[in-house]
Parts: sequence; C-alpha cells; structure tokens
Amino acid sequence: MVHRVVRRSVRTGSVRVMVACLALAGCATPAPTAPPGTAEPIPAATARVPATPSPSDRPPDATLAAEGGDPVAAQLGTYTWGESGADSPWLPGSRISVGRGEPLAIAFDRPIGIARWTADYVPAFATDGSGAASLGRGGGPPLFPAPAAGSWTLVVTVRFAGDAGEARYFWRLEVF
Amino acid sequence: MTRPFRPTSPFRAATAAVMAALIVTLAAMPVAAHGPDPILGSSLWPQDQSVVYRWRSGAEPPAALKTAIRDAADDSNATRASRAAIYTYGASGTSLVGYGTGTCGVNGIGCFTRSAPDSFTMWLREHGRVFDWGTLRWCQMMTNPANGCYDAETIALDEFGHVEGLNHHLNYADDRDYTDAVVQTYSRTRPSAGFDMHRYGVCDIATLQIRYDIPKASSPYSRCLDLVTILTLGVNDSAIPYGAAVTFKSVLKVASDADYGRLAGNGVSSRTVRLQRRAIGATSWVTIATLAQTTSAGTYSATMGLTDTADFRAVFTASSSEGLVGDTSPIVRVTVAPCSPAQCPLPIIGV
Repeated sequence: MVHRVVRRSVRTGSVRVMVACLALAGCATPAPTAPPGTAEPIPAATARVPATPSPSDRPPDATLAAEGGDPVAAQLGTYTWGESGADSPWLPGSRISVGRGEPLAIAFDRPIGIARWTADYVPAFATDGSGAASLGRGGGPPLFPAPAAGSWTLVVTVRFAGDAGEARYFWRLEVF
Repeated sequence: MTRPFRPTSPFRAATAAVMAALIVTLAAMPVAAHGPDPILGSSLWPQDQSVVYRWRSGAEPPAALKTAIRDAADDSNATRASRAAIYTYGASGTSLVGYGTGTCGVNGIGCFTRSAPDSFTMWLREHGRVFDWGTLRWCQMMTNPANGCYDAETIALDEFGHVEGLNHHLNYADDRDYTDAVVQTYSRTRPSAGFDMHRYGVCDIATLQIRYDIPKASSPYSRCLDLVTILTLGVNDSAIPYGAAVTFKSVLKVASDADYGRLAGNGVSSRTVRLQRRAIGATSWVTIATLAQTTSAGTYSATMGLTDTADFRAVFTASSSEGLVGDTSPIVRVTVAPCSPAQCPLPIIGV
C-alpha cells in the first residue's frame, strides 16, 4: 500500500450505540451503499461520468436536517466532478439550528452512491479548517451527531461512488 | 432556512444520548488521512508532454494575473519532480486560460476542465467580485496586499495540479499537514501559513510520481510515499579457489505493487547499498564495503578477493528524506577452497 493505512477499531462497549446508530440510518457502514430509493448499489466500475462535462455537470446539492426539522440547503464549496472542478474559499455555511447530540442526516437532490464521507466542525467565523474536530466519517448516507452547544461551521466532505467526484458542503450550526 | 427551537421529547432526548455516545466512539477512531493526493480523472498527459496554453480571447487576465499564472506554470514545471506534463505559454496554444465571470460555480474563485491528452481550460474569477462569502481580492491586484487576499499564483498552481490529474489532498482533520499539498480543498488567505505556496507539496508530488514516474532512476521519491523496496544480492561464483576474486552484484528496485503505478519495479540508483559479511558460526554482521553504482539502473557491485568461506548480504538503509522503505537482501554464501601450501598464511611463531 502506498498510503499508511490506519485500521479502525470499535470498542465492544459501543455495540449498543452502533446498533442504535444502524437502526437510525445505517451510519458509518464501511462499504458503499445504495442511496435512498435506489434498489441496487451503484457499482464502482459502471458509474460513469461524461469525459467532457458540460457546465451544468457538478455535484448534487445537499441538504442537512435534524430529526423532524426542515432540511437546509448547503453552501457548495470546492468540488471536482468528472474531469472538471472548482476551488472555493472556506465558507461560512447555511444557517441551521439543532439540538446538542441530535442525529443529523444529509440528503442529496438526486440518487447517487456515496463512497465515503467525513464531517468536521470548527467554531463559527473561523477562516479555515485549522483545528477542526471530527463528528464522524464512513460510507453510505452521512449521519452523525450534532456537536456541543455553540455556534459552529460544519463541513461535510463527500466522495461519490464510481469516482464521479467529490464535494464539500458547508452549514453554520447553531446548537442549543 | 432556520429551524425554530423545539422542546425536547423523550425520544429525541434518548436519540441525542445515543448520538452523544457515538461522538465518543467516533472520536476514539483513528483518523485515516494524509497520503498522496487522490487521483483525478482517468486520462493522463503523455510523460513530459508540453501543453501549450494561451489567454482566452475576450477574457484575458489583467497583466498582474497573467504574470502570476505564468509563474504558476513555471512553478509546476520546476517542482513536479516527475515526468508530468510541462506547461508553456504560446499564442497558438489549444488550452485556454480565462479571467472573469467564467463558470466556477456559485462560490468558486478558480476552476478547470481537463481533456488530456489534448487540452485544458482554466478560469480565475474577477478581482472585486462580491460573493455570499465575501469579496474576492487577489493579492497580485493590490498595491499593498491586505490580509484576506488570495495569492493568484498559488490558486493557479492548484488548478495546474488538477489539470495534471491531482485531486484534493486529504488532510488530517486539524489541517496540520496543510502545507504538504498545494492542491487543497480550500485555499488559505494572506497571511495564513500556506497561502502563498509556489511549489508542489510532497503529497502532490507523490501522486505525480505514481502517475507519471520519476525523471531518473537517481531521482528522490516523495516523502509522502512509503514504497517497499526489494534488494537482491548475487555473486558471479559461489565456490571459488582460495584468494580468488568474486564479484557481488546487488539490485535495488521498488516493489511491484499495483498501487505504486509507474513506480512499480523501478530500479533505484545512486543510493547507498552496503555489503555485509558474517563469518561462519558468527552471529554479527560487519560492513565490509559500499557497493558501487553501475551504469544499469538500480544495480550496484563490488569485486574483492576472498580467503574464507562466509555469508554475505546487501543492506539498503532508507533515508528519512524520501519515501522508500529500506531492505536487506537474502543471504548469499561464498565457499572458499582451502589454501594450498604456497598460499596459506605463515603461522605466527611465538617468541
């Protein structure tokens, strides 16, 4: 392996937590899974993107919602898509209020496979991601808990299945 | 859209508790990050291909940004440490670099498309454009660059890196490795560390090397790599007369691994390969020579006369300044025939 691979471990004491997590939405599953409404996972080898993307080709829009709340659209940051991409600054994020520890779920505006995702947060008004802390990572639909009370910038990085591309989505979390 | 405050229900409280516990679990997981930049796109430029670009008609950058973009192309050429494509400006270029409103999405300050091996496009957004996140300021467009401006040379180098086939580096969550790559998920502004990187970072170079190979067998491998090497040792004759010369030949190669791309199986030259000897029955090894580089890539040799049967091995100790893992060859035994009376050393006679 070229990369220094870090193996993950799950403490046996957290089994109940993980079972509950899976019951909620199947978070942190290690393999790519089908997006909601898709009968079969998107095979990595067959999910193709156009060789010469048109200007409309870009990652899907994303929304973030807490249980029972209205979804809030993200600010789309830096992305690559097929053979194209755009670089953006660190963004302040779209504002959403959530409760501490609430499960937060991300949905996309079209069915698409997720290879992996990470969710990190920094204090609101930070100018970049220095010192960010992790809220979660995994494969499949992103689901993770809200951080402690406060104002935060949440950035969720998603790598889509089939090497379709990757994107960063920003929200401003007001956690009560 | 902002969601109004809602009282906490028992179910939601329980759910929150589960998720709070999940925070602890997730926080305990090691973070898998840092390594060569992920790859972007399936097509590559031919090795060392000259890719000629020109300014997009009707969307030419201002002079200060033209200079920054040309400098970024030079930065890419000078620091690619690989056989990646070379960017040159030419009025007949088929690749277009533009400036202005472009098509960099809602929040982008720079963007690209790549159609290797034919052409690419690049855009930088206009100085002074007001975004939702703020006003874009290029440092090069300011007489006295203020904090918060973006370095156009760095952004253009980032775009050139994408065009080569680099995707955004996966930093540690706290970004402490930010300066290991210029192809970043977000660009820093003046005066943050790394806002004005004018050379590829080690993890950019790692992927360029994997995809395009290193320039020469003696070239260093990026520190962002961790390549296993294979060291072999052979002799021209493993059973020799007393005092005869034997030639040791050692070959140092990068291991064959699909993840290593074009680096797999490379001969590794101009490194230090030591020859060690262990007497029969002994347990310790003693370095007796440094093998000399031959004209063949990754091949080292030494010739010496032997008077005792012994075991030999070659040792490559990796340097911390590059991304190779050291290796030790299998052991080779050279059997030396007993000496004839005329050859044998005279016994030491006590006084």
